[in-house]
This record gives sequence, C-alpha cells and structure tokens, in this order.
Amino acid sequence: MIALIRSEWLKLRTVRSNITMACFAVALPLLITLLTMAFINVDSVDERAVSAALLGSGSLSVLLFGIIGVLAITQEYSQGTIRLTLAANPRRTKVYVAKGIVLAILSGGLTAFIILVGNTAGEAILDSRGAVGKLSNDKMGQAYLGMIALSILVSLLGMAIGTLTRNPPSAVAVLVLWPLLLESLIGGLLSVVINSIGFEWMPFQTGMSALQLEDSDMDFGRWGSVGYFGLWILGFTLFAHTVFKRRDA
Amino acid sequence: MRCMIGLDRMQSGTALFDGKSYRELKKPLHEVGALLDAGNAHSGRTARNHLRWLAMSNGMSPKRVDEVLELVGLTDVAKKRVGQFSLGMKQRLGIASVMLGDPKVVILDEPANGLDPEGIRWIREMLKHLASQGRSVLVSSHLLSEMALMADDLIVIGKGRLITECTVPEFIDRYAKKWVVVKSPQLDSLVSVAQGQGMHVSLGQDVAEFHGVAAATIGELAAKNNVVLHELSTQTGSLEDAFLEVTADAVQYHGNTETQSKGVAS
Repeated sequence: MIALIRSEWLKLRTVRSNITMACFAVALPLLITLLTMAFINVDSVDERAVSAALLGSGSLSVLLFGIIGVLAITQEYSQGTIRLTLAANPRRTKVYVAKGIVLAILSGGLTAFIILVGNTAGEAILDSRGAVGKLSNDKMGQAYLGMIALSILVSLLGMAIGTLTRNPPSAVAVLVLWPLLLESLIGGLLSVVINSIGFEWMPFQTGMSALQLEDSDMDFGRWGSVGYFGLWILGFTLFAHTVFKRRDA
Repeated sequence: MRCMIGLDRMQSGTALFDGKSYRELKKPLHEVGALLDAGNAHSGRTARNHLRWLAMSNGMSPKRVDEVLELVGLTDVAKKRVGQFSLGMKQRLGIASVMLGDPKVVILDEPANGLDPEGIRWIREMLKHLASQGRSVLVSSHLLSEMALMADDLIVIGKGRLITECTVPEFIDRYAKKWVVVKSPQLDSLVSVAQGQGMHVSLGQDVAEFHGVAAATIGELAAKNNVVLHELSTQTGSLEDAFLEVTADAVQYHGNTETQSKGVAS
C-alpha cells in the first residue's frame, strides 16, 4: 500500500495543472488575509480579525482542493492512464483508497500550512501596525480544525464526482454548482413546501458553516455539521467506489 | 486483451497466467507486461516520471526506469514531456513500460504502429529475442507481412470468434492458394494436353499457371509429351492471401475494393 501511495503522490505532483491549482489554493486565502490585515482600520480590529479573514477566504481553497480531487481522477480517464494504473494495480479498492489518502494528506497538509502562515503573518502585520490586545480567541482552534476537515472532505467529494463523470469540465461544474446553485434552489424550494425543513439539511451549506467562529451560527454545532456533510461524502464515495470497481476501464 | 489483464469484464471464459487470473497477481508488472495503446500516457508528464510512477507502484527502483529507457533508446529525451513525443517515440515509451518488470508474458497490441522502418525492424528483433529467452509474446496486429516475419503461432479471430489456431507454416499450407508456374518454348502444346486432361490453366506472357495440380504431375506430363521445360516451380500465396481467404466470411466492414478487410492475426 505504501508503494501505491508513493506512486499516486508522484502522479499528482508531476502534472503542472495540479501544482498550479494547489498554488492557487494556498495563495488565495493567504493573499486575501494578509491584504485585509494590511489595510484594515486598526481601531476597529477585534480579537477575531485574523481568524475571520482566514476562515472566510478559506472556503475558496476548500473548493479548490475539491477541484484537485476532481483532476486527480479525471486526468486519468482523459489521458488514458487509468488503464495503466489498473493494469499495474488490478485491486481497484486499493487504488481508490491510495488516491484518497494522497488527496487527504495534500489538502489537509496544505490547509494546515495556510492556517499556520496566515495566522502568524496576519497577527505580525497587525502587531506591526500597532493593533493591541490578544488577537486569538477560544473558538479559533476549533474553526481551524473544521477548515482542515472540510478541505479533506471536499477533496474526497471531488474525487468521487470525478470518478462518476470521468470528465474534468462536467465534474468541476457539478462540484461548483452544487453549493452555489443547486443547494440554494433545493433548499429554497424545501423551505417553501415544508416549513420545518430548509437550508440546514443542505449538505454543503451545513458543512461550510463549520467555518464560522461561533457555534451558535450552526444548526448542528461545528462537529455535527462536519459529520453531517461527511456522511453525504461517505455515501458519494461508496457509490463512486462501487462504480469504479465494476466499470470497464 | 483488455479482458485478459482485468480492465474489462469477460462475458465468458477465463484468462490465467501461471494458473492465476490477472487480478490475483500481487505485482502484475513482474509477471505480465501489456501495451494496449501507446497513447495512454499523460501528455504533461515527462517520459521518466511516467515510468517512475509505474515502477513505484510495483515496488521497483528508479534505476530500473533508467535501464528500460536505455533499452528503448529514449535516454536522451527522458526529461521531455510525453506530449512532445512522436507516435514512434510513444510506442518506444510503451515498450519501456512493458519491460519495466522484466515480465514472463508480454502482450502487445499493434506494436509497430507509427514506427519508422528502423523502428519496425528493432521491435521485430526485440520481440523475437524476448521469445527466444523463453517468454510468451502475444502480439495483435493487422500487419500480416510483419506477422509472417515475426510470429511462430497464429490465432485468427473474426467477428469476435476464433477462426483458427496453428503455426504460420501450417496456416499458409492449409489456407493459401498454390499453383505451378511453367515456362517452356512449347508452352502451347503442354497447355492443350493439360486442358485435355481437365486441368485448370491460366496463361500469362510466356508463362502458364497450373492450378490444383502438383509440380511433379506437370513435370511427368511434359516428359511424356517431349516438352522442354525452362521453369517448373510451385508458388504459394502469402500470409495475407491466406488470411483474407480464411476470414472472407468474417469481415465486419467492407470497403470499395475486394481486398479491404478487418480481422486480427496474432
């Protein structure tokens, strides 16, 4: 299994589009956070300033990690290397798990890097601009952990969608339109038809609410939200894996 | 071939390598090397990295990658992206991936595709060399002239069904047409005697072709009738002729000419 994970890691890092996407995923939230800290009115800064900016912009990188997940598998189909992959490793479950582990390590690791660098540099910028007081807060650590969990989950969701569609543009479209359009439409419709059911049951919106600093903003609490979203992704992953295992390459 | 290496599901039948199905092989690249499409390589990856991930997945060292690159003559372009490769270079890269695990069984689909004459000769010699080392080499090809030079045994498939399975000489002997060519200053008298005995003869310029009869019979007939012969030889159709003959009923797509056909000889 270790050899397979190393092989999948090599595959992922030797394609330029994956590297570019990973750079964007890291650079965007860092840039937004650091620019915000550089230009924010120092007098209005509270202890949530850095973490709020980092978590707000972090949703972008969470989606970008999802796109890396899509590319990790759809590139194999579009370039025909899936046949070599499965000929070299005919046990398909192991291939799927190895890809998932590599994606989880990459997205989780880079998100931790974003948090570490963004938080440290953001606080340093505010400090240099004369902002006073403690800049961290007690919810920050939990929210940051939630961001790492979401990055991992969305990258696995991207891989599952990519496995099902096998086509990069359509998989990316599903991944992006799901939270931006589909959940708004379905959630809105449900809240009109059934008063007691609404947006809180929409997996993406509920999952992303774990990026809020305050637990009170979440219907299921932070880890309940992540868990609910995780259950959906587990369902998608199991379905995609079954298709991956049975389908002709 | 995709079914053999577990990529597609079989509707019926099994394919075993040393008694095991492909999916049961722990490190399949060490047992079976298969090249089904040389284009199955990421265009943005370098040739070396393409082979590295394959080697790594079956626990092979990067040193082996350099060895197979040397074997197929791609060392100088190892750091070039596969997208910049010609079809022939991709074919060589595909052969390199086949040889990574030094497998006992080699499976190739149209290996001479896109290769220049030197490349075709190289692959022919290499496959013969691999077979001489005791490996099983299974090649699928429509290039029958190549197969005639390369193959020991043939499996002829048409419309997905096995048509015949035998050695190349047996196949030609069984299915290719044979005729006797005769040159003689008294050709007309020999032809009229032969036709009088019901033989089928076609006349060319200064030669006659006798069909469905042995050269010895013609020789004896000429001697009996005091006919001088300048040439008496048996001609046999090519592997292609024999293939077209045997697959005549199994052709899926017909072109405008009679000679176009589709089938697989390996």
